[in-house]
Amino acid sequence: MSAAAPGIGLAEVRALEERYLMRTYKRGAVDFVRGEGPLLWDADGKEYLDFLTGISVCSLGHCHPAVVAAVREQSARLMHVSNLFYTEPMARLAQRLSQSSLGGRVFFSNSGTEANECAIKVARKHAHGRGIAAPEIVSFEGDFHGRSYGALAATPSLARNESLGPMLPGFHAVPRNDAAALRAAVGANTAAVLIEPIQGEAGIRPISDEALLAARQACDEVGALLILDEIQTGIGRTGSLWAYEQTPVRPDVLTSAKALGNGVPIGACVTGPAAADVLGPGDHGSTFAGGPVATSAALAVLDVVDDPLLLRSVRELGAELRDGLAALDGVAEVRGRGLMVGIGLDEGTDAAVVGADLLERGLIVNVPAPSTLRLLPPLLIDSSHLERAVGLIGESLLGLAAT
Amino acid sequence: MRGKDQPDPPKPLATSTAERLAAIVEAAERAAVQVIDDAEEEARGRLEQAAAEAERLVADRLAELDGLTDSLIAQAEAVGAQSEQLIASLEQARRRLGPDRESGRFEPRQPDSRPSHLTAVDPVAEPAVPAPTALRPAGGETTAAGARLLATQMAVSGSSREEIEARLRNGFEIEDTASIVDAILGPEE
Repeated sequence: MSAAAPGIGLAEVRALEERYLMRTYKRGAVDFVRGEGPLLWDADGKEYLDFLTGISVCSLGHCHPAVVAAVREQSARLMHVSNLFYTEPMARLAQRLSQSSLGGRVFFSNSGTEANECAIKVARKHAHGRGIAAPEIVSFEGDFHGRSYGALAATPSLARNESLGPMLPGFHAVPRNDAAALRAAVGANTAAVLIEPIQGEAGIRPISDEALLAARQACDEVGALLILDEIQTGIGRTGSLWAYEQTPVRPDVLTSAKALGNGVPIGACVTGPAAADVLGPGDHGSTFAGGPVATSAALAVLDVVDDPLLLRSVRELGAELRDGLAALDGVAEVRGRGLMVGIGLDEGTDAAVVGADLLERGLIVNVPAPSTLRLLPPLLIDSSHLERAVGLIGESLLGLAAT
Repeated sequence: MRGKDQPDPPKPLATSTAERLAAIVEAAERAAVQVIDDAEEEARGRLEQAAAEAERLVADRLAELDGLTDSLIAQAEAVGAQSEQLIASLEQARRRLGPDRESGRFEPRQPDSRPSHLTAVDPVAEPAVPAPTALRPAGGETTAAGARLLATQMAVSGSSREEIEARLRNGFEIEDTASIVDAILGPEE
């Protein structure tokens, strides 16, 4: 089915936004009304191949039947009771997340930034337990951990916005992949090293094995926690359920969100045994988090994603995609792992222009940096979708080079 | 009866000999005592010298052992930490496999069991592993342990032998990857 759902149309929607929404976003000029698998349709019925998936959220594709069924069934039975009571889906999801990763305890949130807030709290309280009065957290330049104040302070590019200050104290950033600088920055007051194993917003930039090993070793030497932000890299995006599984380190804490709910807002902070009992009653909480609908959706997601065959196909498709892109004229570099791919364009090419042109051609990508395209396609695609996307990108680059 | 002008009669020969013998024996005994004293003195000196040497050697060895112990403790702690991580990874694998897979009864779900438009491609060929994006780590025990942990975690997450070996070669410049992978997956048949 490809017919557009009825709606008020792009012009009306834009007018409402102009009048009533805070002006915090620059949006593409499309009013999407329906999605299925890797495809989206706008209000005019035009079809798009979605290689962004709502910034790595709809990793199973749009409206995956298992997720839709889980949400439909749970929302018809029980939607919310708060965290003052027990609910089975939350308990089962916590077990699933713990057993698939670090083996400790889980705190649920409604988003990735909240998951990182929890991780920061865990790190700070853990540090206080070690007698540190003013705990510090070290990150890499280029990291993106969120926009709430704790996560914001750990996001160097955003933390420099003085109009939002003052920032939470004790956060330090060192150059990306600079193992020596990281070792030097970790000291007696360090509570945690909080980093992304592959930087997403910075344009898909994997952290080197050397830097990851340095982070792990530095944390071990001073008793700090290694926290990996797997909000974008987790839930199969890189070809393993968690990106750390393809690195030489194992974190003490990881954070997850985005694809965990495949469109239903949910985040999670997952600990290993060492940090499992740091937070106690009253230390943290949430009204909505871990609700039955969101956790049922996440259980359905994990039922699909935590499958060796699917994860293998992600690795295969990722290699195929990178090979195809690397052969294109105008592409200087292809980065990433699995189906998390960054394209560095030739010098002088304006990625924003390419992104807008691709949207016109029916391919949705993202432009995280002036010369970088970011591709985060659904995990459940096949080679024909890859060929179509690579073909459109090649045509766009050739077309723009000719003008 | 003898008169007072009569000289004393000479001592008998036997008496004279006995006295000389006694004197000789006495001298010999004195000499023997001296020899024994000298020997004991020398022995004491040598014993003291040996004891001093032994004490010096023991002190040297203790100093060496102290250094070695510190080094061994550091290495043991590093290996211990890595072992804990490896055990955690294996525990994760056990949990993921679940009772059905542990008993060997698990049948992986086939891709065609999913709706057609969401089906993953058939895993017919081993994937080409992504080009290395990481800097090469420096040598040392941490790096070796990191390589083992990487291989274990990749195996737990379902990566193939070829994928793991390629990642070890590209990321760690390890040529003999078989020994690491064999220890995790078992020897290749």
